[in-house]
Amino acid sequence: MLRKVSIAIGALLLVGLLAVGGCQLTQLKASQPSDNARWEQIEEQTPAVDVDKDAVINGSAFNKFFPNANGYERVYTQEKDGFAEAKLKQDGNTLAMMSVSDTISNPSATNKYQNSERSLAGYPLAEVGKTATSLLVADRLQVKVLSRDDAFTATDREAWLEKFDLAGLAKLVN
Amino acid sequence: MSKSIYELVNELPQKNLTVFALRSLDKVVPGEWENIVGFENTIRQVTGESDAALIEQIGARAIQLYNDKSEGYQRALWLYQTIDSTGRALGQAALAGKVTENVPFLSIVNRLTPKPEKAQTIDLCMKLVTEIVAFCKVNGIPGDSVGDFVKALGDYGGESLIRMAALVCFDGLVPLGPNFIKQTETVLGNLTPKDLDSNPAFKAIKDAVPGGKTGDQLTFIGASFESVKGWMGDFVESKGITPQSVVSNLKTFVDVADDKMDYFGAFLDISTNYYEHTGIQTLSRRLVERAVAEI
Repeated sequence: MLRKVSIAIGALLLVGLLAVGGCQLTQLKASQPSDNARWEQIEEQTPAVDVDKDAVINGSAFNKFFPNANGYERVYTQEKDGFAEAKLKQDGNTLAMMSVSDTISNPSATNKYQNSERSLAGYPLAEVGKTATSLLVADRLQVKVLSRDDAFTATDREAWLEKFDLAGLAKLVN
Repeated sequence: MSKSIYELVNELPQKNLTVFALRSLDKVVPGEWENIVGFENTIRQVTGESDAALIEQIGARAIQLYNDKSEGYQRALWLYQTIDSTGRALGQAALAGKVTENVPFLSIVNRLTPKPEKAQTIDLCMKLVTEIVAFCKVNGIPGDSVGDFVKALGDYGGESLIRMAALVCFDGLVPLGPNFIKQTETVLGNLTPKDLDSNPAFKAIKDAVPGGKTGDQLTFIGASFESVKGWMGDFVESKGITPQSVVSNLKTFVDVADDKMDYFGAFLDISTNYYEHTGIQTLSRRLVERAVAEI
């Protein structure tokens, strides 16, 4: 009887130690070696794009072609070489992200427009995933609207894409 | 080579002293911060997308952008890490093996030395300057544009807001007391370039501070503080935060006594790396936001 009890206590202790040890391991680090390995593989398959940095249009040139807020709030969030982005907000809530990017920096972005069956304002349109709708202006500048609120639908994205000064953007290229 | 962005985000702790300390600020800015860790998880949370192939495509572009040194992301990370690392070596030794829910603060109190007021004030200012310079590196606004930063502060949310809340609480209110803004102004007003040159935090990030010469850098530091002090004052007042309330929120996991407040500031300084932790989260969020827009 005594032996059985001590075995049971021993087993419980062991289980307890394993549980504590296991918890600490999982709680202290989110590190997932397999996940690192997967991304490392993706990194190797995605070499740096050989870009002529001087040819890339600076993001500051895009800002003035963004839609006017008209009752909404427009907050510029990023302005890098070949990229500008602004948040579209209402009552403090972010509805969408609006951006313009120069595809010279990331040429593969234009692939999706090659077989595009839809267009908007005369430019080829692409819808990717659940949140993104974009246009390719003058075969080079990608104008994109990304939903950040469930109520902001694909129809809303298209409406806001049309509010960009697309002709103005095209002139930056031509 | 230094760590890749996915390693940095995958290795963010889910639970440690820094995370406990930041969680205690939930009473100050409720619901603002969620400790998002893991590269794939970050992409899912930021974009709202769930398709595996699309997530990999977004991740690949984010990695590409991060790896391009001229984009400034690596410099921003260096800043967040460097400003946090001054003084942490001691902390790591004192706290070795003590990463538990209830931290035996009293057991290490005799190994802590509160910083002199002047050094603490410079530290506060250097963290602020780090925020401004890193913000510009990440978001691309030229490095001396304090005005844009102040505008953007109004739009700070999530991990960026919690970092600023921690700055005000852990590097302002707790070590310097309720009058920390006035006190900082006074110290800054009397500070000489020589004082600055002998401060470890300034020395660590001097190369990244706009200005060139120490005298000009001092002017930049003063201007930075001047621009943000209004926001900090409003923040403290509107949230009704006091040194006591900050410490009382922390008491759930650290056995701190009220009469050891200045030691507690030193304790937080050596035991947490909230700039690096939330800095990595800010950096990865911005990278992902840009990557999903560019693919």
